Amino acid sequence: MKCKRCRRAEAAVDLPSHHAAFCPDCFFLFFRRQVTEGIRKLRLLAPEDRVLVCVSGGKDSLVLWDVLMDEGYETEGLYIDLGIDGYSDRSKEKVLAYAASRGKTPIVVELAKEGIPIPEAARCARMQECSVCGTVKRYFFNRVAAEGKFTVVATGHNLDDETARLLGNLLHWQRDHLARQHPLLPGAGVGLVRKVKPLWRVSEVETAAYGFLKGIDYVTEECPMSEDATSLVYKEALSRIEDRMPGTRIVFYKGFLDPSNPLRKGPEAAAPAGAAPVPEDEPAEDAACATEGEVEEGVGTERACAECGAPTYAETCSYCRLKERVRKARSLRAAKVSR
Amino acid sequence: MYNTRMITVRLPQKKKELDLPGPRRVMDLLADAGVRPTTVIVTQGKKLLTKDHRVEDGATIDVISVVSGG
Repeated sequence: MKCKRCRRAEAAVDLPSHHAAFCPDCFFLFFRRQVTEGIRKLRLLAPEDRVLVCVSGGKDSLVLWDVLMDEGYETEGLYIDLGIDGYSDRSKEKVLAYAASRGKTPIVVELAKEGIPIPEAARCARMQECSVCGTVKRYFFNRVAAEGKFTVVATGHNLDDETARLLGNLLHWQRDHLARQHPLLPGAGVGLVRKVKPLWRVSEVETAAYGFLKGIDYVTEECPMSEDATSLVYKEALSRIEDRMPGTRIVFYKGFLDPSNPLRKGPEAAAPAGAAPVPEDEPAEDAACATEGEVEEGVGTERACAECGAPTYAETCSYCRLKERVRKARSLRAAKVSR
Repeated sequence: MYNTRMITVRLPQKKKELDLPGPRRVMDLLADAGVRPTTVIVTQGKKLLTKDHRVEDGATIDVISVVSGG
């Protein structure tokens, strides 16, 4: 099969959803145009932005960092070491190696050093790992961005992630989540930085192909905590539909983002005003949305957390409440052992 | 005579390796391996293969899942 663009070289990537197949060089152009168009259409980034790119070691976040650097944005990478045996070490290794190849040193937050490694924190707080992970990541995204004077936080969520989340929200009629789901979540006040998902137009196959062809060595194993994530069920359902009807995913998501869609209120709806109350520490809907929410949801007016100063609706923010639950569980355990 | 040269299909994330008869197209090999084409990329060394690429006997290909949990 020949490349549909240059019509000379052998195609390396076939994309039925675009009725196209590209050689590596033409695919790079195509992919970067998809990302830059996604940024331009939704005004996700401005040339003067200082971008904190959240990198996990997986394909999407490393590819995102790569493209943003190539496009000339001022970026730094943030890696959060979740404290998951083996997996976190291997992921960190990939991030450090990639960063070094681009002359960068990522900011690293080690949750074990922060006293809140995900597996133990989830056990202590009796919460789902993905939910704990979402709370903790959200907190550090904002904190590191505010401390480092970044104007925006970028994550590697792609079209498959976003449509899986959309399907989940629709199936459960999560109207408040639907109203706020968008590749642009505006910042609000001090300590709450704007968040963007510049890969919203590209699929997982496309990011994987881009990463492979660019020689980006990413971690291919999945987080062992996300094996039962409901997002995988939605992804599989959508992927089966995509098999039969290529292009359905992007039509589904673009239709949802249409400003005339009554189900969503536009990026301004991502601000907390009017957010529907949810039960305390309700588990995240799925792994894909674990880091989605902005200020933790709740009722009342926004204020600074009494412990750490992060934006919250309660006396203390969900991160500090989580840390307190972990601390209490540890104390109880220690007391039992000493008896 | 049996054909002793086969195509080796490696699925590293599943820690699985299959030997399948060739020459065959990538999409046919994926069907035999029970893998849906929209969930993977297929590589041969440093080359990325399209789904209609014909793989010859004796070749080794890697099938890399692209589905991430979130």
